[in-house]
This record gives sequence, structure tokens and C-alpha cells, in this order.
Amino acid sequence: MSEATQLASAAGDQDPRVGLRAVVALRKLLERLEAVQVRNARTNGWSWQEIAEALGVSRQAVHKKYGRA
Amino acid sequence: MFERFTKAAQAVLLNAVQDAEQHGAGEITAEHLALAVLVGEGTTAAGILDEYGLPRAEATDAIRATQRRGGLSDADTAALRELGIDVDAVVTRVEQTLGEGAISAAGKPARRRGLLGKSYRPFTDEAKRVIEGSLREAMDRGERRIGDEHMLLSVLSRHQVTAEVLAAHGVTYIGVRARLAKAS
Repeated sequence: MSEATQLASAAGDQDPRVGLRAVVALRKLLERLEAVQVRNARTNGWSWQEIAEALGVSRQAVHKKYGRA
Repeated sequence: MFERFTKAAQAVLLNAVQDAEQHGAGEITAEHLALAVLVGEGTTAAGILDEYGLPRAEATDAIRATQRRGGLSDADTAALRELGIDVDAVVTRVEQTLGEGAISAAGKPARRRGLLGKSYRPFTDEAKRVIEGSLREAMDRGERRIGDEHMLLSVLSRHQVTAEVLAAHGVTYIGVRARLAKAS
């Protein structure tokens, strides 16, 4: 590959748009998985405190995010 | 506000709520609204979609497939594939342990009690934007009432999944808008 093509290829690979889009998609997937597992934990009788500890966040944060249940 | 919607559009909203209930979803999503628009028969939106020859079953299946993925669009899935993540494989693994439709049914549990003790299901932010958008679409056309054709326009322009699924069959926001303009 000539230097110009190499540079063009590298620039394409480093395109922030592509990378950022993947981050957004990954965050969406992460949110869904978190919701599934929080629901699963509640179904299994876990307290908000226990869920919060497993997630490494405050009890208030989990409770606020996933509502009264 | 409800009276500003035509019978067809009211049916879309009620349909979406029922769909969410039937599938144990805790929230009403833009996908529920899109599906409700697609099942319309004899409505303005239905007429437009028929003109395009949109295969309803296929489009419905495609949207349900994204529901199973928690609303991740084909573009999202493609972006994650670039990172080496197979979304469908992840979904399948989750369903193996937590049951079919585990991801689509997750979200805020619908256990808040409203009046008369009925379960209250909120609309997601995206669904709210779609509904508000349908009002804007009607206003942009100088229409006093919001019809299901405005909901179709709104879901096409504000919901990526619907835009992608329908674009695969040639149905676009611009195209639908043009047909509506011609019809009036």
C-alpha cells in the first residue's frame, strides 16, 4: 500500500463517528441487560440494597432508576 | 387531548397499550406504537402503506425482532458486530436462562397502581416523542386532528428502527409526506 492509501485507511479506522456509534449501541445493550438482571434479582427476592451493591452504585440510584416495585 | 386524535389514531394508542400489556412489557415503547400503526386497516396510513405494497407481516416481524433485542436497531447491531459483539447471540443466551422475550419485557415493572388499582404503564421517552411528533406532523399540514397517517410520519422520522424496517420496502418519511400532499 502506498503511504497515501495507508494514511487514508488509518484515518477511516480512526473515524470517531464509527467508534462513537458503537459506544452508543453498546450503552443501549448495556442498559437492556442491566434492566433484565435487576428485574431478575427482584424476582429472586433481592433487596434494592443488595442489587445496588452488586452494581456498585447507591441504593437510591437503583431505586430511582427502576421505580417502586 | 385524546379527542384531537382521529378514531384511527386513538386505536393506535389503545392498541399499543394493549400490546404492551399482552407481552408483559413494563413500558409502552415506540416499537409498540409502530406495530399498532402497521396493523391499521382501512385507515389513511393503511391506504398509503398499501400503495407501497408493504408486506405487513414481514415488517411486523422485523420490528418484533428488534423488540426481542430491546429495541436495538440493525444499525446498532452492525456497529456492535464491528466490536465483535453478536447481539443475537447475547439475547439468545439471556433467553436461555431467563425465558423467551426476557429483554423485551424488561424495563420498569408495571406494578405502580393508578386509579382503580389498575397497573399503570408509562410511555418511554421515545414513545412520548413519537406521540408529540404526530401532533407536530398534523400541525405542519394544517390539520386540526391527528390521524394515524401523522403517527406513521412521526414514527418514520423519530424512530430509527421503523425508518430502517420500512425503508427496506421503499417506504420513507419523504415519500409518505409527498403522497399525503398529493392526496389533499
